Amino acid sequence: MADVALKGVTRSFGDKRAVDGLDLHIADGEFVVLLGPTGAGKTTTLRLIAGLEKPDAGTVEIGGRPMNGESAAGRDVAFVFQQYSLYPHLTVYENLAFPLRSPARRMDKASLDARVRQVAKMVRIDHKLENRSTRLSGGEMQRVAIGRALVRRPSIYLMDEPLSSLDAKLRGELRLELKRIQKELGATLLYVTHDQIEAMTMADRIGILAEGRLVQIGTPREIYANPANLHVAARLGQPHINLMPADLLPGVAAPAGTRTIGARTEHLEISRARQGSAGLGPDGNAEVDWIEHLGDQNHLHIKVGGHKLVTLADPDLPVEAGDRISVRLKQPLYFGGDGQRLA
Amino acid sequence: MTASHDTFSEKMADAAIRATPEPLAVRVRGLSDRAIAWLFIAPTIVLLLAINIFPLFWAIYLSFTNFRANRPNAVVQNVGLGNYSRILNDPDIWASMQTTAHFVFWTIVLQTLIGFALAYLIDRKFRGHAFWTTLILIPMMLSPAVVGNFWRFLYEPQIGLFAYAVSFVSGIPTSDIQMLGNVHLAPWAIIIVDTWMWTPYVMLICLAGLRSIPDYIYEAAEVDRASPWRQFWSITVPMALPFIMLAVLFRGIENFKMFDMVNLLTGGGPGSTTEVASIALKRDAFEAWATGRSSAFAIVLFVAVFGLANIYVKALNKVKQR
Repeated sequence: MADVALKGVTRSFGDKRAVDGLDLHIADGEFVVLLGPTGAGKTTTLRLIAGLEKPDAGTVEIGGRPMNGESAAGRDVAFVFQQYSLYPHLTVYENLAFPLRSPARRMDKASLDARVRQVAKMVRIDHKLENRSTRLSGGEMQRVAIGRALVRRPSIYLMDEPLSSLDAKLRGELRLELKRIQKELGATLLYVTHDQIEAMTMADRIGILAEGRLVQIGTPREIYANPANLHVAARLGQPHINLMPADLLPGVAAPAGTRTIGARTEHLEISRARQGSAGLGPDGNAEVDWIEHLGDQNHLHIKVGGHKLVTLADPDLPVEAGDRISVRLKQPLYFGGDGQRLA
Repeated sequence: MTASHDTFSEKMADAAIRATPEPLAVRVRGLSDRAIAWLFIAPTIVLLLAINIFPLFWAIYLSFTNFRANRPNAVVQNVGLGNYSRILNDPDIWASMQTTAHFVFWTIVLQTLIGFALAYLIDRKFRGHAFWTTLILIPMMLSPAVVGNFWRFLYEPQIGLFAYAVSFVSGIPTSDIQMLGNVHLAPWAIIIVDTWMWTPYVMLICLAGLRSIPDYIYEAAEVDRASPWRQFWSITVPMALPFIMLAVLFRGIENFKMFDMVNLLTGGGPGSTTEVASIALKRDAFEAWATGRSSAFAIVLFVAVFGLANIYVKALNKVKQR
């Protein structure tokens, strides 16, 4: 394992800058997740580190060594692709053994066999070692693909949305497993996703990418609680953060220059209007528009003036569509006219 | 990566599914799907019966008789297996089968090797590769009759370009380069023409195979440090193999019954050195007018091709299923 550093890396495709002056340092043994929408440059960043793309400017350093001009084979990275990139004519065993059979990595038969079986067990595919890789389900194929990366001990593991094509249940299981394996191996791992739950649950640090730039990087807690701007705030949180004009709701001491207030569920205080709480009078300041029942929680759609807000509510909260309620803010996020966070 | 298949909750979910009653199947009255399907394919089947299946069975019947097409009024006698035993014991016919096998073998070897190599080069997507693809495909688009006549001129020892070019490179006098007249050269003359004409076809199929291999498999292999040589043998060849085998099948069947080019170039000569089975058959049927015997010959050929093709298709399916 080694640390990886990107210094001012830029890569364009035609007119479009896929990655634009990207600086990123991934420490040895760290699990970094790059989060961003489609086209933000996440995959290109991985491919630049792997050597599958050449940067137009800037350098990629692995273990302190600049990698400019080094081929993908020479970089000692492992890559898990978004598609199941298995060798279709080979068995699961042969797929897992493939990277170890490289002449650059001469390995005797016994230790190769031991490594393959150990990794197969780790990704729970050891009961299908002799199956053709085309005769597997999607989840099994992706486990083999992850296993094929794990048989190696490269400088860094690069994973490009490896769980995106799996169903929700399997995704949840693999997420846990992957984090456990990464901790066990002490592996340096750069993981790309557009799924905020994957990012929040697995990452040591999350990097938010937008239009090829790194907007903010920090621990999941920092990114969630202290977003640097509107873009970052909008990427995390379920339901989506509510954005509203500064003077819409009471309970704020907005700093000068505040244009927009961002409020997640924890920033909204709801009480039934009839009780006349929060000093807002018996009619409250909002109306319940719609309630979505999720089972363990409800999505409460609220109308305030002409604005619609969505928040989570306890399913036992005794309100119905059409009820008047009182809503006030509790230490929300303040953003200026340029979208940057003020406080 | 959790072994979910044997967890308790999974078992309970399965039990719940089993406890749900199956809805009763609803039967629709009127024409069944099967009847409608038969209605749609009936015209094709009738046509096939008339122009393919009936002649086949008629030929099988004739193969047991001494019928001669140039004597339609003669009494037709049943000769039993006489025609078959004569054919299978005729050294000339065995020689023609050998000539055919020789021809089929070498055309397939050359066309597959050259075709695959060309496809591999074209697949590199260099500048102007579309133009070169079109250019390479031209021979295939010509009529075999045109190609035959055209190469007869090229092979002409006195005025032909081929003899001139070979003589220019090797120094052998053009009068010695009797491509169609020399017993040793004539079989190769035909192999060369067939290869010239049909290699593009093999190339096209191989190219389809190579294009079907996704780029990310190569990228994965590169990251896994597989050398270009290893990538070629462990990805390119196995993944393109079903396509290559398909090309071999098409060319094999086609060349087993090769007639037009041989007929135009050498007519089976010199002597009978290029007398492939189809030429021998034509002579028996339309020069000797032994219709019964040639029918038997045709049936023997049919069974041979059909049998070989079947074995081959089985192998092909096995490769495909991997």
